[in-house]
Amino acid sequence: MAIERFFNPFDFGIDLLFTIIAVVSCFLIYFKTKESYELTKYEGIRYFRQAFLFFGLSYLFRFALSIVVFSRIAFDVFIPRTMFLPLFILLIGYFSTTGIFYLIFGSIWHKFDSKKLLIFGHGTAIILSIISFFTRSHLILIYLQCLLLIIAIVLNFIISRQGRKISRIKVLYALVAVLWLINLLIIDRRRPFPEGVESFFQILSIAVFVIIYYKISKWVR
Amino acid sequence: MSKKRDRLEVIFDILKIINEHHNSIRPTPLLRAANLSSNSFSEYYADLISKELIKEIEDKERHKYITLTDKGFRYLEKYKLIIGFISEFEL
Repeated sequence: MAIERFFNPFDFGIDLLFTIIAVVSCFLIYFKTKESYELTKYEGIRYFRQAFLFFGLSYLFRFALSIVVFSRIAFDVFIPRTMFLPLFILLIGYFSTTGIFYLIFGSIWHKFDSKKLLIFGHGTAIILSIISFFTRSHLILIYLQCLLLIIAIVLNFIISRQGRKISRIKVLYALVAVLWLINLLIIDRRRPFPEGVESFFQILSIAVFVIIYYKISKWVR
Repeated sequence: MSKKRDRLEVIFDILKIINEHHNSIRPTPLLRAANLSSNSFSEYYADLISKELIKEIEDKERHKYITLTDKGFRYLEKYKLIIGFISEFEL
């Protein structure tokens, strides 16, 4: 069944608006924390801000992917899908997996060797993105990242919070990653969710980014 | 508190000492006031110079003094906020 038949200009416009807000929020978080990192060279800040840089890029390429998918019927422009679709899936796979890893590394980096963390994170991101590239499927990427996220959340809970209550900030981090996966699933307009639910997730994603930005603004002026 | 957090605190203390000495102090009194071993102090000293938080100047008699750079002053100014940020985001 062709994806194009599910094209809806209104949904596409909403998605464009959502992408702009998400990308701008991620980049604002990245640039807002620049001075704090430059003054301290603190590893935790580095992972945190780079996680949002990678998420910003992921949301940008996620939208680029939908442009490729709908280019012919929406804009009457021919973009060679066989070339751009796997390429964008490869980039999305790498950026988003690295973003998820960096978000986790931000809170566990002091328990591990930084070099090993980086090799593990980038190595896994490359493997996941190559698998998605060859399968040409963003769904494979979602399944793999889902599995990765479940393992990471369980491990993170065991490593850093033994017997302690889960903090609100950890819930926000988990939401950033989970909402990314849901938003990647939404890109396929074959309606994985009932109407209205997609918008709910998009609004929730924006709310999470705004909350994080607001929390940063309290400390980083 | 993590080792790295301690490191930020030690850097803050060293910069604060320099600032409290009218932004000009010789290395030996700084070492004493910083309350660090000489090995540790040398490591921090090299780190602060490389991060451009402090710089060395010489007077007419070629005595070496340590002063804060603009970045050093910014560190002092922002330290508490940065620690708050690190703590709130559990970094």
